[in-house]
Amino acid sequence: MKAFIAFTKKEFTESLRTYRLIVLAAVFLLLGLMSPLTAKLLPEIMGSIDLGDGVFITMPEASAMSSWEQFFGYIGQMGMLALIITFGGLMANELSRGTLINLLTKGMKRQTVILSKFLTASVLWAGSYALSLAVCYAYTAFFWPGGVLSNAFLAFFSLWLFGEFLIALLIFGGVLFGNFYGSLLGCFGVIIILSTLNLFPALSKFNPSSLAAQTLNLLSAQKEAADYLPAFIICAAAAALLVAAAIAVFNKRRV
Amino acid sequence: MGDLKEYLPILIPLGIVSVGLLIASLAHIFTHKKYRVGNRALWVIVSFINFIGPVLYFAIGKGDE
Repeated sequence: MKAFIAFTKKEFTESLRTYRLIVLAAVFLLLGLMSPLTAKLLPEIMGSIDLGDGVFITMPEASAMSSWEQFFGYIGQMGMLALIITFGGLMANELSRGTLINLLTKGMKRQTVILSKFLTASVLWAGSYALSLAVCYAYTAFFWPGGVLSNAFLAFFSLWLFGEFLIALLIFGGVLFGNFYGSLLGCFGVIIILSTLNLFPALSKFNPSSLAAQTLNLLSAQKEAADYLPAFIICAAAAALLVAAAIAVFNKRRV
Repeated sequence: MGDLKEYLPILIPLGIVSVGLLIASLAHIFTHKKYRVGNRALWVIVSFINFIGPVLYFAIGKGDE
């Protein structure tokens, strides 16, 4: 436990010194700000495009729901991209630089490294996501007061859970390949496979990637929580399994 | 475009944060000589890609100290 706390402290200090914490927070703050703004501006921009012969595109008036639609779009794509780039080197950089050798030969357990890194990344991700959510919520309430969100907790929780899945995937990829690009490519590969599977509507119920894109439908009450329950369970189980697999692989691996 | 004033409460913080990110990464690029990948010119250009540029620089480009 002592080793775990000490290593976690080291992880947070590292996040601070490598600007990881501040950059991630800034990016998610930006995404939170951009969502309501895009929602508000989009109808005006589209409306000002002349398709010729005086034909204009008319879009429905922006509402709180269009702001949340943008939020899910931004966080689900740009946010996840930022998350992947930021945490891609989490495990891989230590392995390629050999900075863990000293600690491990002094008797620190290998699982401590993985669990501590997972915890730190989760805290950073949860913090930046909460920041983004709070900002978007405040501006959405400011521009479109009096809206009611259904299933709000589950819908927002699902995005966070998908982020956790990606972090677990990045750590596993980092342990497996031992370098930044391997970890990154492994993660993108899984995302591409999952998005391809999403083309089949029958599978989207079980697909973790629908947590990042489709749970918006929970907010507008077009779908019920039960529709995504299998995806929730599979996503959480996959994340836990990936962390366990990362520990197992790391135990066998030469540092 | 409608009344710009309506958007000010959101445009001001948006501007501050994205310019802040840009300045932070440019400042780091110009005060450091060594990069893990690429060179100074590349990273200066990349920094201008809105918010993903600085993220990329701090994650991949920044050299070890």
